[in-house]
Amino acid sequence: MLILQAERDALLKPLLAVTGIVERRHTLPILSNVLIEKKGGEVGFLATDLEIQITTASPEALPGEDFRLTTSAKKFADILRAMPAASTVTLEKDDGRLTLKAGKSRFNLQTLPADDFPLLSANGAATAAFRLAQKDLKRLLSQVQYAMAVQDIRYYLNGLLLQTDGDTVRLVSTDGHRLALASAKLDAALPRAEVILPRKTILELYKLLADSDDGIDIELLASQVRFSFGSTVIISKVVDGKFPDFNRVIPLDNDKIFLIDRVTLLQALQRAAILANEKFRGVRLVVAPGRMSILCTNSEQEEAEEELEIAYQGGALEIGFNINYLLDVLTNVPAETLQLAFGDANRSALFTIPDNPDFKYIVMPMRI
Amino acid sequence: MSRPAPRRIAHLDMDAFYASVELLRYPELRGLPVVIGGRDAAPRQLPDGRLRFARLRDYVGRGVVTTSTYEARALGVFSAMGMMKAAQLAPDAILLPADFDAYRHYSRLFKAAVAAFTPRIQDRGIDEIYIDLSDLPDESADIAARIKRAVREATGLSCSICVAPNKLLAKIGSELDKPDGLTLLTEADIPLRIWPLPVGKVNGIGPKASEKLAALGVHTVGELARTAPEVLQAHFGRSYAAWLAEVAQGIDERPLVVHSEPKSMSRETTFERDLHPRLDRPALSAAFTALCRRVADDLARKGYVGHTVGVKLRYDDFRTLTRDLTLPSPTADATEIRRAATECVRRVPLQRRLRLLGVRVSGLAPAASVAPAPLQGELPFDDAPGARPSNGLGQGGRSGALDEAAARR
Repeated sequence: MLILQAERDALLKPLLAVTGIVERRHTLPILSNVLIEKKGGEVGFLATDLEIQITTASPEALPGEDFRLTTSAKKFADILRAMPAASTVTLEKDDGRLTLKAGKSRFNLQTLPADDFPLLSANGAATAAFRLAQKDLKRLLSQVQYAMAVQDIRYYLNGLLLQTDGDTVRLVSTDGHRLALASAKLDAALPRAEVILPRKTILELYKLLADSDDGIDIELLASQVRFSFGSTVIISKVVDGKFPDFNRVIPLDNDKIFLIDRVTLLQALQRAAILANEKFRGVRLVVAPGRMSILCTNSEQEEAEEELEIAYQGGALEIGFNINYLLDVLTNVPAETLQLAFGDANRSALFTIPDNPDFKYIVMPMRI
Repeated sequence: MSRPAPRRIAHLDMDAFYASVELLRYPELRGLPVVIGGRDAAPRQLPDGRLRFARLRDYVGRGVVTTSTYEARALGVFSAMGMMKAAQLAPDAILLPADFDAYRHYSRLFKAAVAAFTPRIQDRGIDEIYIDLSDLPDESADIAARIKRAVREATGLSCSICVAPNKLLAKIGSELDKPDGLTLLTEADIPLRIWPLPVGKVNGIGPKASEKLAALGVHTVGELARTAPEVLQAHFGRSYAAWLAEVAQGIDERPLVVHSEPKSMSRETTFERDLHPRLDRPALSAAFTALCRRVADDLARKGYVGHTVGVKLRYDDFRTLTRDLTLPSPTADATEIRRAATECVRRVPLQRRLRLLGVRVSGLAPAASVAPAPLQGELPFDDAPGARPSNGLGQGGRSGALDEAAARR
């Protein structure tokens, strides 16, 4: 029975928006499937890994009967992707099998009952809700997401703290070695609320956000967060845990302070990094009045040295860092000039944007 | 060009090893069917000083037979059989608990005795080794007899040895004349002594492959040797088919692996009864911690650290799951292993009861080879509020408020 006829892209685009979270291997076979549901003219796509659920809809209304089915997300996406872009795809469903036809191609796929598909339902009233332009949220995320921990045993670091307070929304991430903080002012009066969003949710959200002025609605629920933008809705569980108090690690009395051109420093570090130790990635910064040297050596005793002029007249300092931690912040912060503030060789360094309290990056040194 | 002299590889297999060690301790049980297995079957001392041994018929539980004496095997009781089933076959058999410390002790003794002959030894487990005799001047039969004598003098136990051109034949051969056997096999013996054997006697042809072969009408090694390679390839993978064809001819070029670095160390336990993740949480948690400690002890004793910590869970429906986590730096520390293992368990569904729990550390490196790494400072989240951020480097490693918070969970 014919259930749907559509241009390839009308199916593929929304499908790819939801299938990023589908796990390759899962104990529950149906979770490798995507739920496709046609209601009225709208064809909806839904995928979940039980932690996150993404739904979206085809951009235009499509004719045909209503239906619900689930089939392998990966195979369905791979088939559509392999079709010529302009092809017209028809879907037929008979006895639990899904047949996809396009031109002279024909694919017969298994389905699993749509009623067995586990759905996350958003529950509880929102403790805080606000709206941002997608591009603003995207910019905020880009400034902090690189500092999230990866598979850390301190599970609550494998994510990002989202905090609301009055007119401020704050995002904080840390892997215990460095911490990035970015905030934005809203025209709103928000309650004090905070959640930890899982790493996977953040990476997926970042991929799906557009560089546009279109809004995204964010609702903090009891143990979930819901993001709604365009026809896409992401419901994510939040990480149950206590995020460390980031205020405690913001250094207040670092007195070796200078401004530096971001791109100049980034390029110098990128060159030096070629000879940084492959495993430990150490870099030594030697700060003296008027100049800063950047030194890298690798396990073969090869050496790189860069020298930059800086407007600085304070005391001398030699301090080591993981060079990746420096490259991360320099790559992701959209500012021409950065302010660097150091204490001593054992204390954290603070990176800020001059005259802008909305961004902070704190990085602990490495004893090399 | 002359052909190189054929290798002389011996396989030495201790006879009914665990059971024989127990008989050394309890000589009065000699000649009786004895079954090793279970946990609480230790003999009790009677008031008159005699020992009272548990009988298999009294066993209640779900243990499996670890091993049995030849007398018990004659009654049909073999390793890995459920003990309740074994009790039906041999209700009067004596039941003893396994004492792995003792078995490891005797294992070290017999291996040390063999090492006096040659260092060319491949460890194949607690009770068997391969020995490369190629470079020794003596006749095979003579040297094998001397090794058997040395093992008996060192341990009081008997073993079976086969000397053959390769590991495959030596392994098969040591079974042919058990117990206390001495077998010599050459290529010329293959048709008469190897081909009549069932294919399952070949190390590497398991029950599944045997079944598939039987379906093809192939029951013996000889029949396997006469099976066309195309037929084997059609039913087995290409490399397995090629291997089957080779072993049927007694061909095996594998060298002895004289020194092997362990790849992982693990400990696991099957619970007396299936434990519920929530209701039996204290018991599970204690068992979990104990496993981590034992793995940490193993690592420390053998001088290794490992990068990856994994867990293995078997549910009451026998489904088995594993999960692992790679740490930023290698460890042999029980607390760190426990913490990482907890993290792994977080990633598995815990709706069903658990039958088995295991902890494994892999990605091993000798502890001494791990150079002191540059020390990355930790953000001082644990400082008192308002205090001046202090030197996060001074604390050394990863101990901080963050970890304590994780440990509290």
